[in-house]
Amino acid sequence: MNLEEFVSTHELCERYRVEHTFIRSLSDSGLIEVVEISHQEYIHCDKLSEFEKMRRLHYDLEINVEGLEAIQHLLKQVEQLQKKNRQLRNRLNLYE
Amino acid sequence: MEFIDYYKILELDRSATQADVKKSYRKLARKYHPDLNPNDKDAQARFQQINEAHEVLSDPEKRKKYDQYGKDWKHAEQFENAQRQQGYQGGGYQGGFGGFGGGTQGSYSGSFDDDTFSDFFEQMFGGGRGRGGDSSRQAHFKGQDFNAELHVDLRDVYTSQKQTLTVNGKNIRLTIPAGVEHGQTIKIKGHGGPGIQGGPKGDLYITFNIINNTPFKREKENLYKTEEIDLYTALLGGEITAETFNGLVKLTVKPETQTGTKIKLKGKGFPKYKKEGQFGDLYITYKVTMPTNLSAKEKELFRELQKLRS
Repeated sequence: MNLEEFVSTHELCERYRVEHTFIRSLSDSGLIEVVEISHQEYIHCDKLSEFEKMRRLHYDLEINVEGLEAIQHLLKQVEQLQKKNRQLRNRLNLYE
Repeated sequence: MEFIDYYKILELDRSATQADVKKSYRKLARKYHPDLNPNDKDAQARFQQINEAHEVLSDPEKRKKYDQYGKDWKHAEQFENAQRQQGYQGGGYQGGFGGFGGGTQGSYSGSFDDDTFSDFFEQMFGGGRGRGGDSSRQAHFKGQDFNAELHVDLRDVYTSQKQTLTVNGKNIRLTIPAGVEHGQTIKIKGHGGPGIQGGPKGDLYITFNIINNTPFKREKENLYKTEEIDLYTALLGGEITAETFNGLVKLTVKPETQTGTKIKLKGKGFPKYKKEGQFGDLYITYKVTMPTNLSAKEKELFRELQKLRS
């Protein structure tokens, strides 16, 4: 495991000025995957944009973690529907 | 450059209190926030307008200036000069246009391009946008993600291609994988904006707009084409030469082939995305063409054939 690909939750709290409980609650609800390496918690760099999105929604729009869960679920549905829509549009070209 | 009605954008009237501004902003921001409206450019544009309107109306000094000059904002500087000459000392701000640097409260952050304010705003309040509130929360770790649209010909995505793109003045060499679909977005990791305080760079998202000028229709990795055959080949069978995406092939047409008959040429379709060496199929639909301008002899023979059938 390459540690350079991970950011410690401690660093995240410091840089983003968020409480550790916020990261903990994101992890508990399955919104962000937190891994433990040598008694230190980390999140993978690839998940940073997801974390940033959650932070924005929570702090800027004052949406609680339960709301974030619902949003995440609905956004996944939106993404799937957009993909399906794109595929169907491409298919429709066959008949035009 | 047109006057922008910030009250209209926030769905407020001019007597709105600061609490009303905040309430309306929060309501509209929740509706149009780009995180909640992925791939919706209209929502993003609306969100930028809302942010800009909030930037002005939530700041008492900016709002005062905006209210004072309104549609005459273009002449504001002239008014101010005239007032200064008359010894006017009021106004509560100094330096005319561009003099505002103070922060407003609670503008929403984002990795999206929300720092783009209108020319109207820049002209009236200067480029120094005050992003206030809890400024520590604006400390982005990861760089900004960039979005770009790439127009390519269908023939160009039949094989993997190396291309150099210029994004924000930087040349980026990338390999476009064969078989990419129209409307598909791919992520080029680390080619977005620079990270802040040593953080990783953002990513570049490229959406493909594939232009099809070929006689083939495409659905994912399968191709479709209509091939015309003459009546006699259709009735008696024979050989034709058909075009595939990568060359010509000889096809045997069975006797008594009907119009609309579909045949499959396995592996003659489009490459499968990120599955090297694997291809979809080509479906050919036969369209039987009828002879025209029949001679007297041909007509006679066809009548004879007709009699044989009746």
